[in-house]
Amino acid sequence: MSFSSLLSVEFKKIKRSKILLILLAAAVFLWLPSILNADINFTETVGGISPENNFFIQGFLGMACFMFPASMVVGTVLINQTERSNKGILKMLSLPVSTVKLCLAKYVVLLSLAAVEVIMSTVMYFISSAIVSGMQSYNMMLSPLYVFKEAGLVYLAAIPMIAFFWALSILIQTPIFSIGTGLASIVPSLLIMNTKIWYVYPMCYPFYIITSEYGRLAEDMSTWNVDLFPLLPIAVIFTLLCLTVSCAAFGRAERK
Amino acid sequence: MTLFVESKKLKRTGFIAAFLGGGILASLIPILNMAVRSENFIGLSERPLKILLDANWQMMAMLNVLLVVIGACIMYHTEYADNAMQKMRTLSMKESTMFFGKFILLVGMSSIVIALEAAAILFCTVHWFSADTDFFIELLKNYGYMLLLIIPSAAFSLVIASACKNMWVSLGVGVVCIFIATMIPNKNFILSLFPFAMPFQILSESAVKYCIAACIEIITAGAAELVYLKGRRAFE
Repeated sequence: MSFSSLLSVEFKKIKRSKILLILLAAAVFLWLPSILNADINFTETVGGISPENNFFIQGFLGMACFMFPASMVVGTVLINQTERSNKGILKMLSLPVSTVKLCLAKYVVLLSLAAVEVIMSTVMYFISSAIVSGMQSYNMMLSPLYVFKEAGLVYLAAIPMIAFFWALSILIQTPIFSIGTGLASIVPSLLIMNTKIWYVYPMCYPFYIITSEYGRLAEDMSTWNVDLFPLLPIAVIFTLLCLTVSCAAFGRAERK
Repeated sequence: MTLFVESKKLKRTGFIAAFLGGGILASLIPILNMAVRSENFIGLSERPLKILLDANWQMMAMLNVLLVVIGACIMYHTEYADNAMQKMRTLSMKESTMFFGKFILLVGMSSIVIALEAAAILFCTVHWFSADTDFFIELLKNYGYMLLLIIPSAAFSLVIASACKNMWVSLGVGVVCIFIATMIPNKNFILSLFPFAMPFQILSESAVKYCIAACIEIITAGAAELVYLKGRRAFE
């Protein structure tokens, strides 16, 4: 079975899962408070950031600090439970399909969910900034190229984190522990970002990227640099390690 | 009887271990925070309890709510996973009894988690500040308040979990609710009454209002579940 047909099978499995509705709800609730409190962009900003930049950054901070990682944990639950609920995974494992391919196909599904989430948030940003521009008669819309660049960076930064969540959900069979560890690992992000060795903790990458952009736009908080050197090798090694472990462990519990 | 059966069901789900682990993790937050940067807190003029809670409670409360939501999801996941729910429905007992049994268990475990956290706060105070009798009374008051305010989120996450057959839906809705709670500005009283935002509160002057609101929300959640169970039977 080729990888692409496996992939299309995996997408079919989550077709009726209502996950898109949940992601959409998250994206809507992300921007709703920003629309309702649009006036604080003019009054309560720090470091001389312009209102349109503040509007964009605050929304994306909200996304990167909790909602985006947490919905990826939900995504892992979705992918695992659809297989396990009626022992579908046993049928999949009995097919002449390489488990490594199967595992990677599921990871790609998870990455696609992440992409959908980021795209939804970005589209909602354009809609809400258009609404706020009308309400406040002030142009809140940033250049689409800049917005796409930031959204793309957040997405790329999330790849190691998603690999980690995926490995967790495969290695830990008891759902409460895999979900609990995943969600609990998001909570200390803010603490670790404040240390010098933030790049050893992939769960804070998306949040860090947006915070560093915030620091660039506002003058008096510029200590958040993204240096590619220690970051990139660590991120790549971490992702590969997580994927190797999850591919090796995939289906092991079922085969016992 | 119900409680006994419900706790037996949770035996191999890791429910108790997860709550204890989460409680210990949350208790470590103030201790680590004090151990690493105690100089930021010791000189402050406020009461020790207020200093500690202001510095750490947001993160601890976040862990508490996450635990409660995951716990509720798991409780109903065991029922729905292998169609155990159908067997439960054929038994000569009301489905609402099961809900309230799970509710009491979830609140009981939350009380243990918050007790662990209170113990951590007590440890920090004794170790880095000084504790007098007033402090103990204050701590007990805070403990009761935090416990009362976490009950609405427990009740509502159980209602959500009982309504959704698939765990990712209930977990997803729960996560979106927690996310909304984190976006709610603290100053706005009406919005901070959102059940999932309540556990983030710290004892303040408007505590009585929050207590009343919490009681109303708990009753609302119970009533919502009863109505839902009646309604579901009409449609299935």
